[in-house]
Amino acid sequence: MSGPSPRLFGARVPRVEDGRLLKGQGRFVADVDFPGTLSAKFVRSDEASSDICDFDVKEALACEKVRAVFTGDDFAGAEIRCVSAYEGFQPSAQPILAVGRTRYAGEAMAMVVADDEYTAEDAAEHVTFAYRPLEPVAGLDDVLGEDREPVHSGWVGHAFVRRSMATDGFEEAAGSAAHRVTVELRNARHGAIPMEGRACVARYDQGSGLFELWTTTQIPHLIRAGLSDALGVAESRIRVISPDVGGGFGVKAQLYPEEVACCLAARELGRPVKWVEDRREHFIASHHSREHRHRVTGYFDDDGILLALEADIAVDMGAYSVFPWTSTMDCGMAMGILPGPYRVAEYSVTGTAYCTNKAPYGAYRGVARPAACFSIERLMDRIARHRGADRTEIRRRNLIGPDDYPWHSASGLVYDSGSLPESLDKALEVGGHNRLLADQAAARAEGRLFGIGLAVFTEQTAHTTREFQQRGVPIVFGYETAKVRLDATGTAVVSASIHDHGQGLETTLAQIAADRLGLSIEDIRVEYGDTDQVAYGAGTFASRSAVLAGGAVVKAADAVAETLRQVAAHRFEASPTDIVIGQGCLSVSGSPGASIEIAELCRLVYQRPESLPRGVEPILEASRTYDADPGTGVYTNAAHLASVEIDPLTGKTKVLSYAIAEDCGPMINPTIVEGQIFGGVAQGIGTALFEEFVYDDEARLLTTTFSDYLIPTMTDMPDFEVAHLETPSPHTIGGLKGMGEGGAIAPGAAIAAAVEDALSAVGDVFVDQLPLTPERVLAWLNQARIQGDGQ
Amino acid sequence: MKPPKFRYHAPSSQAEALDLLNAYGDEAVVLSGGQSLIPMLNLRLARPAEVIDLGSVGGMDLIVTEPDAVSVGARVTHRQMEADPDIARHLPMARDAAGFIGFRAIRNRGTVGGSVAHADPSAEWPVVLLALDGSVDLRSKSGARCLGGDDFFQTVFTTGRQADELVVSVRFASRFADNWGFSEFQRRTGDFAVVVAAVACAAGSGGIGEARVALAGVADRPVRCPEAEEALIATEDPQAVAEVARDAFDPVGDSHGSTAHRKQLVYAQVLRAAGEALARRDKGRPDG
Amino acid sequence: MVEIAVEVNGRAETAEVDGRMLLSDFLRGVLGLTGTHVGCEHGYCGSCTVLVDGASARSCLMLAAQANGSSVRTVEGLADGEELSSIQQAFKDCHGLQCGFCTPGLLMTVTEIAAEVASTPSRHQIREQLAGNLCRCTGYHQIVDAVEQALDQAAGGGR
Repeated sequence: MSGPSPRLFGARVPRVEDGRLLKGQGRFVADVDFPGTLSAKFVRSDEASSDICDFDVKEALACEKVRAVFTGDDFAGAEIRCVSAYEGFQPSAQPILAVGRTRYAGEAMAMVVADDEYTAEDAAEHVTFAYRPLEPVAGLDDVLGEDREPVHSGWVGHAFVRRSMATDGFEEAAGSAAHRVTVELRNARHGAIPMEGRACVARYDQGSGLFELWTTTQIPHLIRAGLSDALGVAESRIRVISPDVGGGFGVKAQLYPEEVACCLAARELGRPVKWVEDRREHFIASHHSREHRHRVTGYFDDDGILLALEADIAVDMGAYSVFPWTSTMDCGMAMGILPGPYRVAEYSVTGTAYCTNKAPYGAYRGVARPAACFSIERLMDRIARHRGADRTEIRRRNLIGPDDYPWHSASGLVYDSGSLPESLDKALEVGGHNRLLADQAAARAEGRLFGIGLAVFTEQTAHTTREFQQRGVPIVFGYETAKVRLDATGTAVVSASIHDHGQGLETTLAQIAADRLGLSIEDIRVEYGDTDQVAYGAGTFASRSAVLAGGAVVKAADAVAETLRQVAAHRFEASPTDIVIGQGCLSVSGSPGASIEIAELCRLVYQRPESLPRGVEPILEASRTYDADPGTGVYTNAAHLASVEIDPLTGKTKVLSYAIAEDCGPMINPTIVEGQIFGGVAQGIGTALFEEFVYDDEARLLTTTFSDYLIPTMTDMPDFEVAHLETPSPHTIGGLKGMGEGGAIAPGAAIAAAVEDALSAVGDVFVDQLPLTPERVLAWLNQARIQGDGQ
Repeated sequence: MKPPKFRYHAPSSQAEALDLLNAYGDEAVVLSGGQSLIPMLNLRLARPAEVIDLGSVGGMDLIVTEPDAVSVGARVTHRQMEADPDIARHLPMARDAAGFIGFRAIRNRGTVGGSVAHADPSAEWPVVLLALDGSVDLRSKSGARCLGGDDFFQTVFTTGRQADELVVSVRFASRFADNWGFSEFQRRTGDFAVVVAAVACAAGSGGIGEARVALAGVADRPVRCPEAEEALIATEDPQAVAEVARDAFDPVGDSHGSTAHRKQLVYAQVLRAAGEALARRDKGRPDG
Repeated sequence: MVEIAVEVNGRAETAEVDGRMLLSDFLRGVLGLTGTHVGCEHGYCGSCTVLVDGASARSCLMLAAQANGSSVRTVEGLADGEELSSIQQAFKDCHGLQCGFCTPGLLMTVTEIAAEVASTPSRHQIREQLAGNLCRCTGYHQIVDAVEQALDQAAGGGR
């Protein structure tokens, strides 16, 4: 970044948003109340797949304080459709409330609106539905095996879409390789599960015809676009506001039927309508993620050098294609990133996104990369075992090296830069690998099951126009917008199209703006989450906000600073290029006396227009967008090192240590970066050990409370060790790379490897499935005993 | 997830509470600490017409040491059980068990009597009560009676308490203070137990004279395992005891583990609890 | 309906509430103290933790009526005007929060612990004591840092 010398960029600045959050002064959607607000409660299907034969809302309507009961036909004019441009894509239309048929257990069928939440819930119990249950497509076993009716009528087969690609040299490379290993891997369906569920409050102003939706979303402008489609209303008539949001991680990055329903109900009833999701609803009706099955074959030579890679990827996308991603996102991402950090020259892959009678499938931190990392890293461990080589050594032989960039992957991605071998070394160092080996030897001497595991990955971040264009999505998420405005008192408002729900962007964008404008951080206010603030943008997802919004803030702040320079130059009769900005002042380079405070200059611009040079307008505001050219993403990389101990009596796995060496380029605020890494790793440990949606035979979810769906608690986490590398991207402003998702990508692979390593003292087993529940671990231990006895 | 409609009563004395129970019987539930009842209300798994809150009833939160037992008032909290020196001295198993119940905030409010009356088959107090030869003191408008654990716990959430009766206190025998073991398998800290084993012994002539092996999470109620108790007296070998216990039950599977896995957990918890009990006997009173 | 009198953050409040109203809804909806967050309504997540007569309690697992005659403290009662309490300050210093949704419940639990500690607990002990407060953002490491700092001060009388 050229310009004034940075003072806050790179500093461990305390967060500016913490004050209000620590004092209970945050404003979350559930905290928002307008006079006359009504409460909504949704009646949800108990049947995954059924014909709705009959329903009765009379009793509910007769309940005290009930204002309305809506059913499918009432909202039949609206629906959520998100159609991929991929050839052969079979579209779905998601009704706002089920019409005639249910397609997953938990699908909203009726909406009761009453004076308060208690009475709405009371009345909802009086809405009755009669169903004719149909045989559900309960999961990937059904789509791959038996003959079942597709979820949507008129479909051929169960796939939203199936795609294949292969490099020209794949057949030859695979055919001539000395060795091959095939692995089959399963990742359980689970979800992001933020501590705040979803919520929304809709208002409709009859005088202006304006909808205002307060909603827990990561993507306000995209929600506006989706609502515009669903409601058939111009975007200028819709304002979407997303205030403080209690964690998103992807699950709040889709348009949901409840958001549309609240808008329609508010218009119908002429009063604000509020819905606060309860935790049970969150499990059954917020979008799910992570359910992948991969079959992967590695072709390699005597040294374990991977010559070709073949993969068959299946993802259970649930009942509907979601807005704005479509139902192709996970599958496409897995196909693209599977070769990961390795020099894979030849590649053949088929990916299928299946439609089943489960809740729709949306984004969750890492999107497909945890499954892809699990596959390639489990494969690497198998190759190491096959060749009798050390797991670290086999990786070193295959990793993309510092001289290989830009690396053109076999799947068509372009890795801009990275430090893969260095990050591996650094993880071993900071994770105390030698000490762990000694601990392991000591543990094994006592008969304890102690294991060490390792995973390396490269993370596509901040991908924009070119990438999303290729992905066939209807809206190409190509850029973010920032607006910088200086006021007459010399403080700045930075408005951004991204959203901050814990990532600290309110602070990091303020750091950037303060540096560019020569102000202190206290003089910057960052706002976001309101479609009225900036023209357009996509929001926060895909590890892109610091890069894209950061770049846009640089551009907008520099534009405003340029106006200041012109005004100052005019005042001091100097050239704008000689004006230096910093420490709250504009000064003429080399003329110590010629200096004016920014605040004073701002006052002059707005209040004394006569002091402006000819042609300069009295406004200190600029909006800019940034798209991080070339649009295929910039690549963060990392290595994770874990150690575990298994209780041989119960199968319970304890993570003893966890180290991360990550290279996300220059860090705006290392403390925030570390928080993002640790939080991601914790979610990854949940993926590795605990998290799984369990269904009954009829595709009804059984894990619908926090006592059945287990997310990691404080005692399940070790202290983390972290090391940073900072290889700048050659493409982005400031060399920034994204990093929000990385932590969540590798833990499944690293911990599975550690469990397998622990069990290897007993016998050779292959850990092929997540999560590593006590029951599964004991089954592997028993297998290892049998295998060990057989040797 | 809001409670259904009910009528709320806050009697200010035990007599008043008993009058209300007498009047409403099956229609009423008793609210003690509420840490089991209120989640069930919020999930609408319980739909009482009347809720009788004991919060203003005094005198039910006392821990009284008797010659052979400790009497614990029904409204004594889990937190009190963790912290009370008499409990640590006479019922160290109860002190340890209390630490496994939920979380700090849950232990601050949840009560022993509430948990016993709730009769969750995987909960801590019922299984400790069986292991420590405990009994439940019940009172109604028409009188008082005492039920032993075997008679009190009948099936899931169902006890020998009559609809007009109130659990007023729980009594645990103190003769096992030196020879006990408690082992609980939780997926995470504070989770509901998957399987709990509680083992208590008392010395007899030349060995173990009395052995009690109680389990939670294996049946529709907390249960003792007579076969394992006999094996403990006969063999003093934790492994033999654990094998017997494992073979004695076929627990129903769920998302936390299949029947086969739970049988293995019975083995693991009994092995540990019996091992601890024998180790304590051998070492004297390390926790005295 | 039930008449209740509760002291909340030092202020006497009286209200007539439905017997089934949860304390969390009373604090948020009736008193407008929306700093207490509701994350699960079955006692697991800890976001709604408040202090009732000094002891941590899940406000989703208490009826408002049960708080009659009690003193309740919520996150709004921690700071002294603009000045953060030492526990709040420690969370800020150590980046012990991200989205801030679980934070009020954590702060209340730590406030209870801080009133009791005689010496700084180990990181393991801190984790055990706070296992009932779920956080999905931080991975807990920096929360433990913050609590370590706060309890160190509390134990040293610097609170």
